[in-house]
Amino acid sequence: MTLSFPRLLAIARREYLTTIRRKAFVLTVFGMPALWTVLFTMMIKLEAGESARALRNFHTLGVVDSAGVLAQAPPEIATPIDPGPGQHAAAPSQSLHAEVRFFPTVPDGDRALRAGQVDQLLIVPPDFMATGRLRQYALKSSLFSSSHDSPVAPWLVRGLLAGRVDSERIERAARPAEGLSLYRLNRQGEFELKDKAGELMDFFLPLALGMLLSIAIVVGGQYLLQGIAEEKESRILESMLCTVSPEELLVGKLVGLGGSGLTMVGAWVVMGSFVAAPVAMMARIHVPPLMIATGVAYFLLGYLFYGSLMTGIGAVSNNAREAQQLAFVFTFMNFVPIYMISAIIGHPDGALAVGVSMFPPTAPISMLLRLAAPSSAVPWWQIALSMTLLAGAGWLAILGAAKLFRIGLLMYGKTPTLPEMLRWVREA
Amino acid sequence: MLEIRECTKRYDGRAVVNRVSFEVQPGEIFALLGPNGAGKTTLIRMITNILRPDEGEVRFLGRPVGGELRQEIAYLPEERGLYRRVRTVEALAYYGELKGMGRQQARERAMELLTRVGLAEWAMKQVQALSKGMQQKVQLCTALIGDPKLMILDEPFSGLDPINVQLLEDILRERRAAGATVLLSTHQMNKVEQQCDRALMINRGRMVLYGEVRQLRRQYAGNTIAVRAQRMPDRLPGVTAIEPLNGETMLTLEPHTAPRDVVQALLERGVEIESLAVASMPLEDIFVKVVREGLGLDRGQSGPPTVDEPVAVAAPRGGR
Repeated sequence: MTLSFPRLLAIARREYLTTIRRKAFVLTVFGMPALWTVLFTMMIKLEAGESARALRNFHTLGVVDSAGVLAQAPPEIATPIDPGPGQHAAAPSQSLHAEVRFFPTVPDGDRALRAGQVDQLLIVPPDFMATGRLRQYALKSSLFSSSHDSPVAPWLVRGLLAGRVDSERIERAARPAEGLSLYRLNRQGEFELKDKAGELMDFFLPLALGMLLSIAIVVGGQYLLQGIAEEKESRILESMLCTVSPEELLVGKLVGLGGSGLTMVGAWVVMGSFVAAPVAMMARIHVPPLMIATGVAYFLLGYLFYGSLMTGIGAVSNNAREAQQLAFVFTFMNFVPIYMISAIIGHPDGALAVGVSMFPPTAPISMLLRLAAPSSAVPWWQIALSMTLLAGAGWLAILGAAKLFRIGLLMYGKTPTLPEMLRWVREA
Repeated sequence: MLEIRECTKRYDGRAVVNRVSFEVQPGEIFALLGPNGAGKTTLIRMITNILRPDEGEVRFLGRPVGGELRQEIAYLPEERGLYRRVRTVEALAYYGELKGMGRQQARERAMELLTRVGLAEWAMKQVQALSKGMQQKVQLCTALIGDPKLMILDEPFSGLDPINVQLLEDILRERRAAGATVLLSTHQMNKVEQQCDRALMINRGRMVLYGEVRQLRRQYAGNTIAVRAQRMPDRLPGVTAIEPLNGETMLTLEPHTAPRDVVQALLERGVEIESLAVASMPLEDIFVKVVREGLGLDRGQSGPPTVDEPVAVAAPRGGR
């Protein structure tokens, strides 16, 4: 494959400039982060609002104590309000109070609940001590069911232990792990405090990096796919192929459109840094430079692999719509690690995580997720092997795509079958 | 010089171009003819190195095509398009850059060509704003921008109005005068007769005609001359048939008889010749005849020869 650098440069420059000047590109660069910000803000506010609303509407708890174990339980439930992640933990603590009313029988409690005299009804069956079974009734259910039982459980502990143990122990038993500090081993081999913000970032950082890489690869690939399918459809390519070789056209497009993909991700990272920097600093998050370098390397290799595949698909398709349909399977494969995120981050050294990080179509995202996982220590040889396999697959993809490109660009009408495409690759 | 030597291309075991050989000289306008599906486009794609022949080779300027020779070859395919959402001058300059020009040089050359085809005022407009005919002229410019030594034009006249057809003919003549080789593929036989020096016709991938256009037309007219005279003898030496046609007399000559021998024989017999012309068959009729013969259909369905090139004109009636 002999390539002329000036021609490559001319093709790459045209592809890059044409792409980044498109309205759709500009809209994606600025619109996508705005959309994500709005969505995340709405989700967080919705969840926080739902919990707070559930607590605020909880004024009275009805109890039917058939087991007779709560005779000395406190007549009031005091619930401290959790400031939540991202809020100032040092803010003065607040609590909500709910009254407890006992009913002699279940029908009494039921009537009171239906009449709105109590907000929730707790049934303590006679065999509660033996089985631990409880029933709680509410007229309205909030989105997050955990918000119902959180104030009741400590009250139950206090009720069960009242008069049997001193009040200090009762308080401790009601919230035994309130002051628990979890320390975990970091990548530097030191134990560091794991707080709620850090816990969230442990999940969101790999997710964000994985999504960023997936979107960058897919966006770059989609531009290639669309560009080639449109050029083929509008019969531009044949006269160009007289002047440039298919390989020059292919590589020039890969470079130019890969550059526009990088530009898009770069813009997102810069914009995201301004927004996320305060949160990241507060959560003591720092992304190691090695991870950034590895991410860029995986982007380039992943893009080479997927971009070549998209080019081949674009070349054999009759129009952009058909190309999109054919490319769906490959686009989906790129996102497979995102669906497995819990398994990969939870067990970054497990067989599944190692396997998908070696398999070229899923390697870029999986390896980045493994590297970003808090408890991971990916051996260097696995990174090297994964990159080598991906580079090898990328090289094969580019060779295959060049052959499909050479023949497919001039074929119109029927979309070739897989055996036909394989034959082209062999014969071209 | 463009040399095609024994080129063969097969698809699914079927030869769509079968051992085709021909040469095109610098400064020559050469026609590539053939019915639809004859293998012309495949042959052109092999010449432009878009496809590689299974057998044989294509050479230009003494070297196999491909590599840096791409810079010397331009191709205007029959089905052609342009980038639509860019300025016309930029769309054109891009081809110049691909031909090895610097950005500024490509832009200047693009402007020069747009001026040449009367589209200078449209240079800064987007291609999609141009009419179909204007876009066709820009497409022609994409083939001209690198001043190629070999231009391959597939149906370049289609869709052009008579003014632009004339413009294209002028440009072709300029390219010929500049020593470039022009290979023209068209179904407009009158354009071939007017513009082309030589022609190759292929049918079902095989060569069926190759030679000078004028010679081919005479050859298919069966060595016939058309004579206009007051009276005509019943027999003449070296002439196999004498038949009246549309006020003239068509004389079919024996293979070795030259028109001047007939003139001599007529003058000896006191015949006053008003006009005499070598008859030639329209290329379109030759095309139909050859294709039908190739299909195994009836022969001799083509029209009568026409007279297009007077070779000798006698003195006017009552004159010397």
